[in-house]
Amino acid sequence: MRMLLLVAWRNLRQGGRRTLLLGLALAMVTGLLVFLLALSRGVNVSMTRAATTLSSGHVNVAGFYKATPDDVAPLIQGVDALRRIATENTEGLVRVLDRHRGWCKVISETSSMWVGLHGIEVSEEDALFEQLTMAAPATYVKGDPAKARPSEPRRLSEPGTIMLFRSQADRLGVQVGDQVTLRTETLRGQSNTADLTVVAVADDLGLMSTWAAFVPKDAVRSLYGLKADTSGAVYLYLDDIDRAPAVMAHLREVLTEAGYTVMDHDPQPFFMKFETVMGQDWTGQKLDLTIWRDEVSFLTWVLTAIDSVSFLLTGILAVLIAIGIMNALYIAVRERTGEVGTLRAIGMGRRRVLALFVIEAMLLGLVATSIGAALSATVALIIDAVGVPLPWTAARAIFMNDHLSLVVAPAHLIGAVAAFTIITGFSAFWPALRAARLPPITAIHQTE
Amino acid sequence: MSASTAPGAPASGPIVELSAVTKDYPLGKLTVQALRGVDLRIERGEFIAIAGPSGSGKTTLLNLVGCVDVPTAGAVRIEGQSTSELSEKQLTTLRLHKLGFIFQSFNLVGVLDVFQNVELPLLLQGGLTSADRKRRVAEMVDKVGLTPQTRQRPNELSGGQRQRVAIARALVTRPAIVMADEPTANLDSGTGGAIIELMKDINRTDHTTFIFSTHDANVMGHARRLVELVDGRIAADHPVSEAA
Ligand SMILES: Nc1ncnc2c1ncn2[C@@H]1O[C@H](COP(=O)(O)OP(=O)(O)O)[C@@H](O)[C@H]1O
Ligand SMILES: [Mg+2]
Repeated sequence: MRMLLLVAWRNLRQGGRRTLLLGLALAMVTGLLVFLLALSRGVNVSMTRAATTLSSGHVNVAGFYKATPDDVAPLIQGVDALRRIATENTEGLVRVLDRHRGWCKVISETSSMWVGLHGIEVSEEDALFEQLTMAAPATYVKGDPAKARPSEPRRLSEPGTIMLFRSQADRLGVQVGDQVTLRTETLRGQSNTADLTVVAVADDLGLMSTWAAFVPKDAVRSLYGLKADTSGAVYLYLDDIDRAPAVMAHLREVLTEAGYTVMDHDPQPFFMKFETVMGQDWTGQKLDLTIWRDEVSFLTWVLTAIDSVSFLLTGILAVLIAIGIMNALYIAVRERTGEVGTLRAIGMGRRRVLALFVIEAMLLGLVATSIGAALSATVALIIDAVGVPLPWTAARAIFMNDHLSLVVAPAHLIGAVAAFTIITGFSAFWPALRAARLPPITAIHQTE
Repeated sequence: MSASTAPGAPASGPIVELSAVTKDYPLGKLTVQALRGVDLRIERGEFIAIAGPSGSGKTTLLNLVGCVDVPTAGAVRIEGQSTSELSEKQLTTLRLHKLGFIFQSFNLVGVLDVFQNVELPLLLQGGLTSADRKRRVAEMVDKVGLTPQTRQRPNELSGGQRQRVAIARALVTRPAIVMADEPTANLDSGTGGAIIELMKDINRTDHTTFIFSTHDANVMGHARRLVELVDGRIAADHPVSEAA
């Protein structure tokens, strides 16, 4: 075995340009795969962050209230009791809060847009303010940015205030201190408006932040004419986000036990359930439990797209490389027919000859892919650390971040190296089989 | 003068026996008859030359004895065992343990140094401890006079040195029979003579059976028995006087 490795290794080094080219191709494809995986993971992390910051807890206890059979509102009543039950029955709970939910038009002097309203209680939103950074005035203020007032997100504790995101402020042409009007429809179909002062403009957090705005709970309540013990959803944050499904399942049982009507799990964001619930023939309150992934399920196409592109691209390249390796090895086998015959003549078995060529290819695969993966991971880490800003709105939206986020997972590195090394070994199999089947007599014939 | 028996080896019967061996090669629609009814008994410890013009079937004969090919008809027996009845795997085992091959163009593994080339058959055999193996290789390399070149690669060696490596590789497993197909054809006559002397020495001390082919009259003179092939048939088979 040691000898086979030695012969394989030295043959590779003798291979010169052919070895170098194949190795380079292998390294590049592995590097590409590692980079794309890091991108996918980065988007995943950004998406998780954006989702659990803006519009979801790890687990959500939300619900719908129907005053009449053909009406629906994203409401839970008796929020204090729900929070208590959820808190008492959630293992590994690190944080709990509740937010009102609404959907309304924000109108400025020059423009208007629809946003999802999040009614918050500032005292329990430390994590939100930690995650968000405030936008530099120069990035959205129309006039002289030096004269712009600074963002003060904590002022959301005052009534009549609103926090927008940079892209919204940009589009509405407003800055801190300006007034905007919110216009909405109540449960009974009446239109309602409120004038709010912009107190903060936060940096975008990908696609989701383009339609999210934060206001005090009271603002939502008065817009919709809601009672004090109502809310939109209770957000539960866990020490381990992966336990979210288990926690949700447990709470579903507990709440059903406690007499609540809990809707069947529907892995969609709440705003996509309106139509379904609207068509249902019931009135009163039903609870709807979701996990964070459900609330961003409409965005997972991004991940699917990135993963599909990665898969397709590296798949095609892998096939090309496999063909390249096969070709190179067929040539090598032909060139080394005499050597193989000699080895067979002095008593090397077929299996060892097979192993010799497969090992040679896998050795090349292992070395080249390791180098490729390591280089690519290094580049990815550097790009992530430097924080390369994404120049286009569309890119920021799709990658759920305002800078390119790349997360290198060790498992991805090992997986990519292993996958391509194995592919190399497989491609080497047929040429190696041909070598193994060479009759030993060729040693004598080839060299005469 | 007659073949002596190696101590401890089974004494009965010839070590190699060819009976009515023919070998045909397909050549397009024709068949080339390389050997046409060869009968030959070789005893243990012989030092025998196969002579004959080019195309007379020397290589074919050695290939059959060397178990890299099997006869079209007739039987080649190694220590009584007919090679036609053995599987590919058994033939490989036979080659590895009983036979040694020395090729006209040396056929060393280019990426391995002298020591590693000689070590290779022992590694393939397995069974020896690393220390025993190293000692055996070192002894063998010393015997062929290449100790100073131990760590050199074949391309750094002269033709004669390469053929010495090939001899060491063929002998390191202590095979019963060593085949050499025109071992001196690629060497100048002085070097060739030295190579034959070396083989003869080993034959004398270890009683290894040597069968080599040649069409060089000088080399033939070193043999103790000369088999002459013409057109795939044995034309003459006679002892050679030591005086040569
Ligand atoms: N693989 C082969 N295919 C066809 N003909 C062959 C093959 N090997 C040898 N021969 C023919 O068989 C005959 C004997 O060849 P060979 O044993 O190589 O003779 P020598 O070694 O004495 O020169 C020659 O006519 C040669 O052309
Ligand atoms: Mg020949």
